[in-house]
Amino acid sequence: MSADASDLSLVRRVQRGDKGAFDALVLKYQHKLVKLVMRYVRNPAEAEDIAQEAFIKAYRALPQFRGDSAFYTWLYRIAINTAKNAVVSRDRSPVEYDLDRNNNDESYDMQGRMKDSETPEGLVLTDEIRSTVNAAIDALPEDLRTAIVLRELEGLSYEEIAAAMECPVGTVRSRIFRAREAIDRRLREVFEGGLGRAEELG
Amino acid sequence: MNEELDSQLSAMFDDELPPAECELLARRLSRDEPLKARWGRYAIVGAVIRAERGVRLNAPLAGRVNAVLRAEPALAGHTAPRDLRHDRLRWWQPLAGAALAASVAAVSILWLRAQAPGEAPLTAHLAPPAALSAAPAAATARGDSYVVPVPKQPAGVTVPSTELANYVVAHSMFSPPVARRNLLSAFMTSEPATSGTEEPQADVKGIAQ
Repeated sequence: MSADASDLSLVRRVQRGDKGAFDALVLKYQHKLVKLVMRYVRNPAEAEDIAQEAFIKAYRALPQFRGDSAFYTWLYRIAINTAKNAVVSRDRSPVEYDLDRNNNDESYDMQGRMKDSETPEGLVLTDEIRSTVNAAIDALPEDLRTAIVLRELEGLSYEEIAAAMECPVGTVRSRIFRAREAIDRRLREVFEGGLGRAEELG
Repeated sequence: MNEELDSQLSAMFDDELPPAECELLARRLSRDEPLKARWGRYAIVGAVIRAERGVRLNAPLAGRVNAVLRAEPALAGHTAPRDLRHDRLRWWQPLAGAALAASVAAVSILWLRAQAPGEAPLTAHLAPPAALSAAPAAATARGDSYVVPVPKQPAGVTVPSTELANYVVAHSMFSPPVARRNLLSAFMTSEPATSGTEEPQADVKGIAQ
């Protein structure tokens, strides 16, 4: 299995003129990119603007992307440069961010910062999405929950998860898929319900 | 939704799908909006599990990027820089084509008129290929000159009007239909009865080229 084959196949489609494939790349990496940019700027809305700018720069530079590095590595580099330039041009100091800090640390008041720019509806929806996904994960059978958490939280490959769970790779793939399906069923209800209609999926 | 397809989508999201399957699914993903929405929700699930707390999970970022890029040309038609010189040349090309066609028609008509009504068959005093190839060498030997040397003519090579008509038809793309029809009818009306004396067609082809 070649790493990054999925991104590369989407990238090649974009390079051949298929803009729809770029949507898939944005959907996949938008949260990671915003999170990354938030190491440099304080305001989440500003971080989204910078991430948007980074995606657009990446799109325009895609003809020069040869696939020597992974797409996300290349994209992250663009995002970091865009964020640094934004900080310099707006004469702001980057947020001091301890990379080793536990993201679950409740004292880290990112939510507090969000409130400055977020609409109440947006905050409610974000909270609702989060609580729905967490509830769905809690309701998963143990083997499905372990598989999806090892994948998403620890970033393990299917082979590594198979070794950790002492099962075939095919079983890991099936467990992760079934976990996602179970969570997605609940999540879809949020988006297709009242609040979800008001906002784009993003 | 097809379960196998969704299973592939999940594996593709994790970069765990074989490249050949990725190609096919990427094609579908780029066009299938419900599939794309599901792909987007997979990303949200990942963001929640990783507790990316400062990130708005419902942010319309993809929609905003899409809106900006919608106004831009697709990359495939954008990779090579445009040749502005080509743009400048393009406007006169139809005019040049028409002028060329008109000149060919005018020369042909003048040439036909030069033939006396009773003078048949249509003839052209054409040099044989050997004489043609010798001409540039002779010109070089005499130094630079803008005068095309007239080679010594052997006996007149007869080019029957049928051959000329074929030539005109073969090059019909360079002349407007009306002029072509006039020219052809002129050839046909002047067609002599001595068609049996035609020279081999290869000679005419050689000239035409």
